[in-house]
Amino acid sequence: MPTRRIGPLQSAGALAFLALLASLPARAAGISAQARLAAERVAVSTCANCHGWRGHSVAPKFPVLAGQHSGYLLAQLHAFKAQTRGDPDAIGYMWGMAAALDDSQMVALSDYYSRQPPVAGPRGDPHLTRRGRAIYLHGDAAEGIPPCAVCHGPTAAGNTTYPRLAGQHVQYLMKQLRSFKDNLRDVAIMHGVARGLRVADMRAVSVYLQSLGS
Amino acid sequence: MVSLMQGFLFLRNITIVFIAMLALGPPAHAVPSFARQTGLACEACHTVFPELTHFGRMFKANGFTLDNLKQVRDIDSRKQQLLSLSALPPLAAMIQASQTWLNQSLPDSTNLPARSQRSTIGVPQQLALFYAGKVAPHVGAMIQITYANDTGTIGIDNTDLRYANLALLPNDHGLVYGISINNNPTVEDLWNSTPAWGFPYASTNAGVSPLAATQIDGTLAQQMAGISLYAMWNESLYAELGVYHSAQQGVTNPITGAAGPLDGTASNVLDGSAPYARIAYEYQYGRHDLEVGAYGAGFRLYPGGSSTAPNPLSGPVNRFDDIAEDLQYQFIGENNIVTVAGTFIHESMHLDASYISGASVNPTDQLTTTRFDANYYYRRTYAITVSHFSTSGTVDTGLYSAGRAPGVITSANGSPDTRGWMGEISYLPWLNTKLSLQYTHYDQFNGARNDYDGFDRNASANDTSYLLLWLTF
Repeated sequence: MPTRRIGPLQSAGALAFLALLASLPARAAGISAQARLAAERVAVSTCANCHGWRGHSVAPKFPVLAGQHSGYLLAQLHAFKAQTRGDPDAIGYMWGMAAALDDSQMVALSDYYSRQPPVAGPRGDPHLTRRGRAIYLHGDAAEGIPPCAVCHGPTAAGNTTYPRLAGQHVQYLMKQLRSFKDNLRDVAIMHGVARGLRVADMRAVSVYLQSLGS
Repeated sequence: MVSLMQGFLFLRNITIVFIAMLALGPPAHAVPSFARQTGLACEACHTVFPELTHFGRMFKANGFTLDNLKQVRDIDSRKQQLLSLSALPPLAAMIQASQTWLNQSLPDSTNLPARSQRSTIGVPQQLALFYAGKVAPHVGAMIQITYANDTGTIGIDNTDLRYANLALLPNDHGLVYGISINNNPTVEDLWNSTPAWGFPYASTNAGVSPLAATQIDGTLAQQMAGISLYAMWNESLYAELGVYHSAQQGVTNPITGAAGPLDGTASNVLDGSAPYARIAYEYQYGRHDLEVGAYGAGFRLYPGGSSTAPNPLSGPVNRFDDIAEDLQYQFIGENNIVTVAGTFIHESMHLDASYISGASVNPTDQLTTTRFDANYYYRRTYAITVSHFSTSGTVDTGLYSAGRAPGVITSANGSPDTRGWMGEISYLPWLNTKLSLQYTHYDQFNGARNDYDGFDRNASANDTSYLLLWLTF
C-alpha cells in the first residue's frame, strides 16, 4: 500500500494555521484581575455546565479543557466565533457560545482553563492501548500514519501550538478525528493525517490518549 | 362514516403540511426564542423537546438569561449595567394540531341512547405565544399565552418569571440562587419527573379524564400564584421553598366587578398561603445523569361556591398534604438517548369542610399517584415512550360520586382507582417539529375495569388514540 503524504497545499495551510496559533498566546499577557474574575464567573456559571468543574468535563461529548494550552483554546474560540470550525457540536453549541465573547474575554477564559491542573482519564482495553501507543509514538508507515508525538509531544502534553491530548475523552477524540477526516475543521495538517486513519486505529489512539496522566 | 372521512381529511392535511415544510427547508432551532437568544441548537438544552438536558436545567436555573445576541445597553458612570436588552424580543409560537379517537364513542349528553362522534379534530388544539428569554441582566421569563379549542378562548398558561444570580464560592464552586414567580407549582422545577413538565408532554383534550388527581398534580395550575426561593450548589444539590396564594383567572368580585378580592362565589379558594418545598440531587457520571428528589406542598382550600350557590370563605377548610418523591435517569449518547423518569405522590386529605357539607362521606381520605415513563430517542429523530400510571385511594362515594346518567365521568363504587399504560412513537424530521401517535389504555377507570360508571361503560372504552403534529417556531 502506498504511503500517504501531506501535499504542499495542506502544508501551506498548516503553516498558516501554526503562524496564527503562535501569534495568539502573546495576546494572553496582561490580563487584569477584573477580567480574570469575570472569566472565572463565566467559567463557573456557564462553561462548567458542559465542560465541568475547572474544565474537568465528565460527559465525554464535551472536551476536557483543564490544562489545555491557552493559545490553542484562544484559536478555537476565534474559530467558533468566525464560524470556521464546522464540526457538528461546534455548530450546535460553540458558535452560539462564542458569538458574544469579545477578544479580552476569550483571552481570559483561555488563560483560566490553561491554568487548571489536568487529570488522566480512565484506562481502556490494554490491547487497544498498546496499538494506540504504537501509532501515537511511532506512527504506522505501512498505513501512511505519521507519529502523533512529533507534534503533540511524547506525553501528549502538547505545546503552545499543538493541543494537549493527554486525558481527553475517547468519544471527543474520535469525533474530532472523524471531523478532521471529513474536513469539517479546516485544519489541513490533521485532515492529511486523519483521512488515512481507519476507525479501529482512531479508537486505539483515542483510548491510549485518554489514559495518559498529567 | 363521517368520522372516517374526517380522519382521512385530517391525515391528508397533515401530509400537505409536511410536504410544504419539506419544500421550505429546515428551521434552525427547536425552542425558538431560547435558541435565537443563545445561538445554541435545541440539543444543547433538550434531548427532544420539551425534555431538558443538564445544560437546559442550568439555563433555566440561571434565569433564562444566557444571551449571545447583540444587546441594547446602558451603563452608569460606575460602569454598572442599567440596561441589557436583546435587540430582538424573545418571542416564539407553538401550534398543536391533533386528532383523537376514543375507543368507544360517548353517550349523547341529551338524547340517549344516541351516541357522540368517536373522533375529535383540533386544528389547532392549542396555539400559543411565548415570551421566553432574558428581560434584564439577571431577570428572565417564560410566559405562555394559549388559545385552546376546548375553551375557545385565549388564556394565561404556564408562567415563570425569574431572578437568578451566581455566588462564586471558594475553589471555583458555584451557588446559583434565584427567585421564581410562577402560577403552577413545579412549573419552575428543573427536571421532567415532576408534574408540570412530566410525561405526557402533550395529551388530548378530547378524551375522558379520571375523577381523581392530587392537588399538586396540576389540579390548581394557573389558579395559584407563588413565589419561591431556590438555590443550586455545584450544579448538583437543589433546594427550593415557596408559598402560593389563590390567583384565579376570569373571576371577579361580584360587588365591584374587579379582579378581586375573592368571596364565597369563587370555588376552591386557598385559605392563606400554601407552602411548597423541593429538594433534589443530580449526579453526573460520564454520559449518565441521575436525579433523585422530593417535593411537597400543603393546600388548605375553602370549597366556596358559585354566583348562584355561594358559600362563604370561612369556617372549616379541606386540607391536602402532598408529599412526593421523584427520580430521573438520562443516558445521552451521540445517537442513542434514554430517559427514565418517575414520581410517587401521596396525598393525605382532611376534608373538614366537605365532610360537614356531605360532599365527602369520610373525614379523611388518602390518594396516591404513581407514574413512570421510559423514553428512547434515536438520533433525536425517532422516539418511543412507554409509560405506566396509577392513582388509587380511599373509597368515598361522596367525593367520587355515582352521579347521574349518562355516567362516563362518574364512579359507581366511589373508588378513585385508575391505572393504565401509555405508548407513544414520534418522528422529528427537524428538532422543532414533532409528529406523534400516542395510545392510552386503561386497565381500570374510576374504580373498576367493567361498568365503572354504573351505566355499562368499561375502562377500556376510554382508551384513546391521539395523533399530534406539534410545531414550535
